[in-house]
Amino acid sequence: MPVRWILHWQPSQGTTVNSHILNEISQCVENFNGVKDGRCKTTITFYKPNLKDQSMSAQFPRDFLGISLMEQPNKYYLIIRDNKLVAEADSSILTIMEKLQSYKSKVALNCEGLQYNLGDFQMRLIKVVPNQAESLRGILMEIEYLPISSLENAKPIMEEFIEIWREVLSKKSLPGQFMRAEPIFADYGLSDNYSLQHTAVQYAAALPQLFASVQLRS
Amino acid sequence: MECVVQGIIETQHVEALEILLQGLCGVQRERLRIHELCLKNGPHLGPVSSEVRLLCDLEQTEPSWTVRHVGGAMRGAGADQISVLVRTMVESKVSKNVLRMFYTLGYKLDHELLRVGFSFKFNRGAQITVRVSSVNKMLKLHATDEAVPVTPGIQMVEVTAPASDENYAEVAAAVQSFCEYLAPLLHLSKPGVSTGVVPTAAAAAASLMSDGGGTPL
Repeated sequence: MPVRWILHWQPSQGTTVNSHILNEISQCVENFNGVKDGRCKTTITFYKPNLKDQSMSAQFPRDFLGISLMEQPNKYYLIIRDNKLVAEADSSILTIMEKLQSYKSKVALNCEGLQYNLGDFQMRLIKVVPNQAESLRGILMEIEYLPISSLENAKPIMEEFIEIWREVLSKKSLPGQFMRAEPIFADYGLSDNYSLQHTAVQYAAALPQLFASVQLRS
Repeated sequence: MECVVQGIIETQHVEALEILLQGLCGVQRERLRIHELCLKNGPHLGPVSSEVRLLCDLEQTEPSWTVRHVGGAMRGAGADQISVLVRTMVESKVSKNVLRMFYTLGYKLDHELLRVGFSFKFNRGAQITVRVSSVNKMLKLHATDEAVPVTPGIQMVEVTAPASDENYAEVAAAVQSFCEYLAPLLHLSKPGVSTGVVPTAAAAAASLMSDGGGTPL
């Protein structure tokens, strides 16, 4: 499948992310000749161990998360970041997890957005909001280059495209910029050939960056 | 949810059973070689004891993994009246690093088995699967090449069919009805209710072997 990079919006120091910035970025994509082509949604759930004795929590992973992608609804992606583990499972794994009762959902985030076509590229502008709230927690951008599935081969093209995209965006003088967390896929046992497991790993890598910028501001 | 019955047969009669199943099902058998790892939660994890099975299908060119959770059996007067066990069962196909994932989450290996045999999958009032296999244990961790039978000379037969809350009665009836065809060779009952080998097995097997399964039992 085509290579995809996921970028996160990093607000400039002393500023916060807000819907005005999201609208401005959206306009930029349209001015960049992006043609709206549907919606996308990803749900990310953070799990915590269901412990009888909370003092034992250090023995269990603290950053276990599950990712559901709208484009592949019958699959579920499990990630333990500290251990560099990603697994793909049929979505029935959620029923098994419920029955096992060993881990419970701590918080869930919805990543909803619009997809734009730009020739060989697709861009998805995504707002990150908590499951039970409306407040914007961050902005993500997926950039996909349709002709290539090798990460290595796509890298120069992606870099060039993102450079042009940043230039377009810079004309708006928005307080922040898009950054990339750049996870090392080989650490997760993933090959150069792009898959949705790579997407899941990029989401898992981008989220701490969003939260770090939120914490920095507060 | 699934309907299930189990039984045992002496290895010397397995060939006859295969001929009978071939005749009844009209489909080709599939070879079966499953490495089954049973994991349990560690002492501090979860409010209750939980168990999950990881099944590695070694018959595939690239071994494929499935997580299986078997829940409690259906109870009550209705369940007692049928001779087939109805229980919750959920499976999820997973990537090959699933064992490492469960270990990291705090699950421990309880035991592991290697099932070697064959299966038939067919539709007969329900989507029925018959698995005939010898159950082997590993003398060394994960050493599937050095597995030895748990019960030499005896193989396990399991008949299962997926069901739902709406149709389990019909599925159970279909499984029960199919089992009657196998009755001269083996007796199938709810898991945990051992009925041993049947006395007519040798004669039935001899008959099947002599005419290749052409004569109805």
